[in-house]
Amino acid sequence: MRSLRRFFSRLANLAPRRSQDERLREEIEAHIALQTEENLRAGLSPVEARRQALLKFGGVEAMKQDYRAARGLLFIENLLGDLRNAGRSICRMPGLAAVIIVSLAIGIGVNTTIFSWIQMILLQPLPGVSGASNFLLVEPSSETGGYPGASWLEYRALQTQVPALRDIVAVQMVPFNVGETGQTERTFGQLVSGNYFSALGLKPTIGRFIRPEEAERPGTEPVVVVSYEYWQTRLGAAPEAVGRKVRVNERDLIVIGVAPREFHGTMFPLKFELWAPATMAPALLGGTRDLDDRSIRAFSLIGMLKPGATREEAQAEFSTAMAQLAREYPDASAGIGGEILPFWTAPRGPQRLLISGLAILQGVMLLLLLAVCGNTANLMLARGSTRQREMAVRVALGATRWRIVSLVLSENMLLALLGAGLGAAIAVWGTTALRVAPIIGAFPIQFQSSVDGLTLAFALLLGAACGLIFSAAPAIYLARLDPQDGLRSSSNTPPRSRARKVLMGLEVGLAMVVLIEAALFLQSFRSARQTDPRFRPEGVLLAAYDLSGRNPDEASEREFAARLLERLRSMPDVEAAAIATNVPLDLHGIPVRPFTVHGRVRSEPGQDRAIFNTVTPGYFRVMAIPLLEGTDFAEMRDTAAPAQAIVNEEFVRRYLNGADAIGRQIQTRAKSFEIIGVARNSVYDAFGEPAQPAVYFSYRDIPAMQGEIHLRTRGAAETGLTSEARAVLRDLDPMLALYDVRTFSQHIERNLYLRRIPARMFAVLGPLLLGLAAIGIYAVVSYAVARRTKEIGVRLAFGATSGRVALQIIRENLAAITWGGTIGWILALAVSIRAISKGPVSLPVFIGVPAILLCVATLACWIPARRASRIDPMAALRHE
Amino acid sequence: MAPNGGAMKQKTDVLQGTLALMVLKTLDVLGPLHGYGIARRIEQISGDLLAVNQGTLYPVLLKLEQEGAIASEWGASENTRRARFYRLTREGRKQLQVETKDWEQTAAIIARFFEAKAEDLS
Repeated sequence: MRSLRRFFSRLANLAPRRSQDERLREEIEAHIALQTEENLRAGLSPVEARRQALLKFGGVEAMKQDYRAARGLLFIENLLGDLRNAGRSICRMPGLAAVIIVSLAIGIGVNTTIFSWIQMILLQPLPGVSGASNFLLVEPSSETGGYPGASWLEYRALQTQVPALRDIVAVQMVPFNVGETGQTERTFGQLVSGNYFSALGLKPTIGRFIRPEEAERPGTEPVVVVSYEYWQTRLGAAPEAVGRKVRVNERDLIVIGVAPREFHGTMFPLKFELWAPATMAPALLGGTRDLDDRSIRAFSLIGMLKPGATREEAQAEFSTAMAQLAREYPDASAGIGGEILPFWTAPRGPQRLLISGLAILQGVMLLLLLAVCGNTANLMLARGSTRQREMAVRVALGATRWRIVSLVLSENMLLALLGAGLGAAIAVWGTTALRVAPIIGAFPIQFQSSVDGLTLAFALLLGAACGLIFSAAPAIYLARLDPQDGLRSSSNTPPRSRARKVLMGLEVGLAMVVLIEAALFLQSFRSARQTDPRFRPEGVLLAAYDLSGRNPDEASEREFAARLLERLRSMPDVEAAAIATNVPLDLHGIPVRPFTVHGRVRSEPGQDRAIFNTVTPGYFRVMAIPLLEGTDFAEMRDTAAPAQAIVNEEFVRRYLNGADAIGRQIQTRAKSFEIIGVARNSVYDAFGEPAQPAVYFSYRDIPAMQGEIHLRTRGAAETGLTSEARAVLRDLDPMLALYDVRTFSQHIERNLYLRRIPARMFAVLGPLLLGLAAIGIYAVVSYAVARRTKEIGVRLAFGATSGRVALQIIRENLAAITWGGTIGWILALAVSIRAISKGPVSLPVFIGVPAILLCVATLACWIPARRASRIDPMAALRHE
Repeated sequence: MAPNGGAMKQKTDVLQGTLALMVLKTLDVLGPLHGYGIARRIEQISGDLLAVNQGTLYPVLLKLEQEGAIASEWGASENTRRARFYRLTREGRKQLQVETKDWEQTAAIIARFFEAKAEDLS
């Protein structure tokens, strides 16, 4: 208690330091005056009286020291002093400090931005829902390792059979055509179970949510909840919007409520506009049998643990329930087990793709930050070497080792935290810039990350860690300094700095790896833009339609496509028209599926695989892919011809021994197709990819609900066609929306978007790292040279030319650089052979990058070496 | 760093402890007093403890003030010189009682220990 009181009193004493000093001075004065008077009375002379008084009082300075130590908290006082000192010494080296702070800020900023995304995925996978990290995915899993989803009846059974889960909700993502006949707009919504909103703990902005009883009986409750954004943009943000009717997939739904502002549905990172009861599925999806067919696994399930229950309990109960279902309904559930997974480990879907990419990115960026730290350590060491006299004086005057260390530490920490502060600012900017990310592909994506407390803490932690890492070396070095040596300065030979050279070599190696990979990446990216895709994208208009809202049968799909094509071809500006299920160079890729070729025996185990695309007759004309052999597909309404396939050259080479393709049979999906033609190879997934085998099937044989319309226009009027194409589709079917309309060139640009981000990042990172490496080398060499001034002076005095001296310094340092560089080079080669390109090693990159790096390194050595060799030998010898 | 820093520090602590007790007792007996007066009094009674280093008193005074055992304010000394006067607080009085008792106990034990003869210990 007493000591606590004393502590606060001391804490309070930190501030009014001056008046306290004043008080002590006055007290001493008074004391000595009183003693002097006493002595005078005892008969001493005035001078002697004062002298005796002073003697009796004792050492004033030592006492003051004690007094100060007792008064305030020496530790904090020292810290404040150190910080003041650090601030001053940073101000003395503005250039160096700026380099360090900015390079740290970039490293910390990038890392913090990525961390905020990862954090969002891990902790906030469902924006607008609190505690979303406690939610679990309830995923039926097949024996082959797939995750097929759950059927509605399965969901109803599971609801009661997994008591460890408080709630299980079922969701299905569906495309909706919203709006009045003729003006429909395509959007995405979710069909949800009745407990969806209550289980997520959401409160409506206005109105109410779907009630459990509204998702009991099929098709009776035509209600819909709309997103906040939809309410704002389409319903005028009016409170009267509740109760209004919205036309969705040719059904009138009554708006009953508006979701919270931040809520966008439960399929991160997709953004949904509408939520309707799952029991509306047959009404909204053209009489689909989703609700009563156990083999239609259209729903995703999310569960919330009961308080006190564990994931293991839920898993055990879920497995038992799935086994029970498999026994009861072997047709639909045989071999289907189940897994309960944390939300962020989603085994399928867009989230999966995102998290693995981000983890790699974070790893690379942390490496970069480490390189920055190494560099800063080198710079600070070099600076420390010029301060050894200052430190030696401090030690000689009685500073303890710890004081020296804390001096260096506070200086570096201040630098690091300044860097972290700036880095956090960069992260704030970065996350806001990316929040307005574009819609990628046909799906609406939302990317809402923001810098919050945890992210800021991460930035600070990174800053502090960096500070500790790069202060360790200089602090140890300066604290171990012998004051005698320090004061005598360069009178004896300095120790060789092996650590510094290793650090330098490592940095060069790291720079080598990243630069080579960056160069390879940029090279492939650039060459990709220039290579011939082997089809002609110019003048092609793309647009998508989707019949899945009405659950059509094959015949009507085929008929729809045939009629659509007839209309499109009759348009004046259309040269050719076709429909395909997949578009090359799409972000989502084109499916690769297994098949067998009649009469071919595989030598190794496994299955033959090829790219599958289903197209209508005329496709090859639209795409300008020549048919090398055979003919195009039979007309859509031709019922006589057998099932047909057209393969590409690579397919013939790889699977048919390069000859006699026509007439061979391909089996896939339990059906047989006759090869009637061979098309030239073209690009499917990425520019510059190696040739891939591909099979085209005909829409006539395998009709599909979705289609991508391809229109080749006359002249360059591709964009002008949009409204006409819309009109054609509207005439054909007033309820159907044409969506994702774009030219082929736009399609390519958009899908390169994601690849452009790393390309840009590399383009910035490469030179940055090169600059960092150069600074690091420069620091090490100038440090080493400064320590050897005297030796250089002696050699010059004995007649060495300055050229020779400079050359020797460069040679010594280049040895370390070459070591690091070579290791980096080998690593980069290994990585590129294993992972990046399957093609030949790119010589220009593997020779060019080391050459550039070597030039920069030599230059960074040469500048300080030349400066050292230019000194006057006499001056150098007189130096100390 | 001084090689015997630890030992020196210990000695100072003992000295400071005794000094503190003497300060409290002085203020208890003589009432409010300035630093010089306290030093004089201790010197008179203890002989040479403060004969050389009167200054060491001030850190002790500060410590006691921070602990709340004494309080201080500016006032005029006997010859109208400005001086800082220290006085015992209620808490200080309590502390003095406790410490006096402790001290007497310790002293008694030590005294008995020194008086003990060899046969008493065997």
